Amino acid sequence: MYFLEAIGDAVQRLAYALGLYPLLAGKVIVRLRKPPWFFPLIIEQCEMVGVQSLPVVLLTAVFTGMVLALQSWVAFHRFGAESMIATIVSLSMLRELGPVLVGLMVAGRVGASFAAELGAMRVSEQIDALWTLSTDPVRYLVIPRVLAAMLMMPLLVLLADAIGMAGGYVISVYALDQNPHTYITNSYDYLELIDLYSGLFKAMVFGTIIGLVSCAEGYYCAGGAGGVGKATTRAVVVSAMSILIADYILTAWIFK
Amino acid sequence: MSPEKTSAKQPAGIISLQGVHKSFKGRKVLDNINMDIMPGESHIVIGLSGAGKSVLFKCILGLLRPDRGAILINGEEWFTLPIEEKLQRMSCVGVLFQGAALFDSLPVWENVAFVLRRQGMNKPEARERAAEVLEWVGLPDICDKMPAELSGGMKKRVGMARAICHRPDIIFYDEPLAGLDPVMSDVITTLMKRLHERMNVTSLTIAHSMKLVREFSDRVSMLYEGRIYQQMARHDIDSSHDPVFKQFIEGRADGPIQFTFSGSDHGKEAT
Repeated sequence: MYFLEAIGDAVQRLAYALGLYPLLAGKVIVRLRKPPWFFPLIIEQCEMVGVQSLPVVLLTAVFTGMVLALQSWVAFHRFGAESMIATIVSLSMLRELGPVLVGLMVAGRVGASFAAELGAMRVSEQIDALWTLSTDPVRYLVIPRVLAAMLMMPLLVLLADAIGMAGGYVISVYALDQNPHTYITNSYDYLELIDLYSGLFKAMVFGTIIGLVSCAEGYYCAGGAGGVGKATTRAVVVSAMSILIADYILTAWIFK
Repeated sequence: MSPEKTSAKQPAGIISLQGVHKSFKGRKVLDNINMDIMPGESHIVIGLSGAGKSVLFKCILGLLRPDRGAILINGEEWFTLPIEEKLQRMSCVGVLFQGAALFDSLPVWENVAFVLRRQGMNKPEARERAAEVLEWVGLPDICDKMPAELSGGMKKRVGMARAICHRPDIIFYDEPLAGLDPVMSDVITTLMKRLHERMNVTSLTIAHSMKLVREFSDRVSMLYEGRIYQQMARHDIDSSHDPVFKQFIEGRADGPIQFTFSGSDHGKEAT
């Protein structure tokens, strides 16, 4: 009996947690149809999500590109196909590594910040105060954050792609003695536009996931300081897992 | 009184609660609350910790939806209105939260003039109005400070300035004296009295302090076990012979409300 109750409780908690995200998504979609949209707050959040994430994202991208070039060289050297390193680096960065790694970095940095900030505002009654000050908290707090994450992620990924490819170039040309001209040609010759677009589209989806999950965790947070901590952890974990799952689904759908 | 019957009746009060029920996980927190608060009245709700005062406060403000019953403000039930209209009507309300609930990311003047800015007032004008109200609560020259730089008493006064800056008709106070020293408590009480007299606002206060009840209320309601247990005018407080009410206002541990604690001489296990 106790076992069944425990399962029931777990299912109820899961359903509650999973219900939060669509609930908030619905609220956001309904409100996006009409003003006010708080443009200054959207710009402020874009700066927070985009500009402030740049160091972390670019550092991740450059080292990923460099490692990818090194690892690919080890493999391709065995059958004399070193010239394909450039293609592997650019394809991997554009299609997968750029969006996924940037997504995970932003989930850690920005997702945690969204959840902690909104959670702290919830437990200190600041969100209630917004209602009483004639301001819809979903419009004022959630929409700017979700939009900023959605809009900034493709830009971050674009930069990460470029920097990652540059990292690969530096290692291949200066450490592995590849011909620079051949490297650049091979970087672009085998690419198609869909490789770039699919990565940017994925980035936009991942941004939306990070924004919605993190804001939902913070917005519906309860239980004081401990609750804020748990909400922050859940925001990062759920965002990261959702990015990996969504990545598979999107890849299967786009390149079927 | 059933909510169905009462909802057809024209409410007499500026705030009218009719058969309000609220439960959490099967536990009744508010049980058939009926209450009318008249225009210009200062009404204080008292009760033990956990009696449901804060839930009542949140239900009236529209932050929690009651399970049953109607809450009418200015004769309208706000829960049935679309969000935009509900938010518009909120401008007739000012709220001082227990912890002041100032926005950490905004300087004091932007906290105070928040509604004015949302209503489209330009920055210099809103700042000037905020400075005037801050001076009124005894805090000149703190416009550019951040909330983190303020003491508890200052935060409460800034919270009060924010609640009144847009000149509301109704002011809600949630435990306005909680966590303040006696001097600051007196300052806040004086400000509340001045505000009530000069702006002729209607006030609803959630409080524990009997000093505040005696100095500030016109009428008092005691919430006990989820119900309005007693409701009376301020001058009747001391003549009440109800043992539960007397125990509360005298602040005694022994009496009909029983508590259990180790080594207690007073109470036995609550039944």
